[in-house]
Amino acid sequence: MSPTPLPPHSPALRPSGESSPPIATLGEAAVDCRNVSFSYPGREASVLDNITLRVNPGERLGILGPNGGGKSTLLKLCLGLLRGNTGTIRVLGMSPDEARRAGVIGYVPQRLEAELGMPMSARELVTLGAAWRCPPWRGIDPKRRDRVEHMLELVGAKDFADRPAGKLSGGQLQRVMIARALAADARILVLDEPMVGIDAAGQRVFADLLATIHREIGVTTIVVSHDLRAIVAGSDRVACLARRLHAHAAPQGLTPQVLAELFSHEIAGAPGTLTGMHVHAHSADECCSEPHVHPSAAASANLPGSSSPVQLGVSAKREGQA
Amino acid sequence: METYALLTNPDLADMRHIVLTALIAGLSVVLMCGVLSPLVVVKRLGFVGQGVSHSAFGGIGIAAVLGAAGWIIPGGAAEFAVIVAFCIAAALGMASVSDRRITPVDTAIGMFLVGSMALGAVLVQASGSQTSWESILFGSILVAGEREAIAGWALAAAITFAVWWWRRPMLFWAFDEDSAAAFGVPARRMKLTLMILLALAVVTAMKLAGVILATALLVLPGAIALRLSDRLWAVVALSVGAGVAGLLGGFVASIELNWQAGPSMVLVLTLLFACAAAWTWAKSRRAAA
Repeated sequence: MSPTPLPPHSPALRPSGESSPPIATLGEAAVDCRNVSFSYPGREASVLDNITLRVNPGERLGILGPNGGGKSTLLKLCLGLLRGNTGTIRVLGMSPDEARRAGVIGYVPQRLEAELGMPMSARELVTLGAAWRCPPWRGIDPKRRDRVEHMLELVGAKDFADRPAGKLSGGQLQRVMIARALAADARILVLDEPMVGIDAAGQRVFADLLATIHREIGVTTIVVSHDLRAIVAGSDRVACLARRLHAHAAPQGLTPQVLAELFSHEIAGAPGTLTGMHVHAHSADECCSEPHVHPSAAASANLPGSSSPVQLGVSAKREGQA
Repeated sequence: METYALLTNPDLADMRHIVLTALIAGLSVVLMCGVLSPLVVVKRLGFVGQGVSHSAFGGIGIAAVLGAAGWIIPGGAAEFAVIVAFCIAAALGMASVSDRRITPVDTAIGMFLVGSMALGAVLVQASGSQTSWESILFGSILVAGEREAIAGWALAAAITFAVWWWRRPMLFWAFDEDSAAAFGVPARRMKLTLMILLALAVVTAMKLAGVILATALLVLPGAIALRLSDRLWAVVALSVGAGVAGLLGGFVASIELNWQAGPSMVLVLTLLFACAAAWTWAKSRRAAA
């Protein structure tokens, strides 16, 4: 299936006060995936099927897709943490392994993956990002310390910089992880499911934070999420991924039809496994009395070009039910 | 007081020499274990330590066979090297199996643990060795001589230096393995390094506390320190301090009450942990009030 054609751009999804930056199209790509396919060993079904995706330097890309849609797999392939794909992946002109060793990617993981029992403060964590490559016999030079302080300030983590990691809230820890990635001088910032565990108010703050970082540093940013809000919060372009690339263009292209097509992968699974389920996407002002039963697929967002929030949900219907 | 008499009575000079030599050897063990212990606790490697220490049975069995064949001298450095090599191989085997996710981690450790014990039992019996199972199980710190003390301090220095040398990538990896790898940290090398350091510390700790209790020296000091502080270097210092307190307390209890030194030491450390836990609980209650 070819990517869905997209309507013209609208700034409705931008965090407050942000203008949309021009998308660079010339020069070396930050990330360039060409005809990438991948299957896990021993499994016939491919997780990724012929993905071609280019992320330009300074661009903010959101990768949206359902659970099991191949987002994390694509991310791991680009990070060099997974091998065995067909096609080619280049990160700033390097192979993923070379890019990983060169430290050009700053990865912000989901919170639950970290050992929060580590007796380390937020500042120490950020300092590790800046200084882990320093020779062990040398202390941390003032330039790196300044960079650490600057990044802590940029992400608004100065006030809790001395607090142990285990005593930070989800949102605070995420800021620290972003500061760590930026202090490591990463040229590409990758955020994995950044909105997980953050309340609605925190999500807005997070969107503003991403905008501030982009404005101040201009770092290439890739946000991977199944959460519509995380993606629309700060992306110049959105790649809709559910094994195949369903769409890859500006966020205003996230029409209800695209979303429904995208998330039907998660709901329907293998053909015929969940007959009777149906995915719907509609504007909030449209009449809909069907119960939303699948939380991960249920989302709403102020899509560009839409006067009201778009709701995405799933309804369970018995076979033959109208 | 038996301890006071031991320290001051000129007639007990020989005994004093034995005890002080054992104490010096013991200090090397609590130093290396104290440095590693916070990492072991945070990374939940306590059961790995148990698996490695029990794997020593296999090494003891192989050493017994080699000794019976006249290839190594029982009780010598070569015997220790065989046991260390076997434990390191077991530790790397556990890490490899858990990495590849062929088998659940605890199952893999359990298999190495019981397999090594069975191998050791069979080989010791086959070699006709007169190995003291009690000293293997519960330790015999008082037989540690100057040679053991020197070897212990050399190992303690090597382990402490290795932790200092790799402190930054090791801490990065320990906090979050997946993201560390994405940043270019050699995550697998860090894991294998830690496993080798653990194996070295466990085998040395066995001399003091025996196979069964060696893990306690790797777990309890860090657990106590993490209860008392959330600052990295304070935790490491407290962990070493708790180990030293446990060692001294265990020795005093051993002399005064005629208990075995290894179990006495572990009991003191357990008591210290209970005190630290009670202090944390009281502190949190005060904060809530």
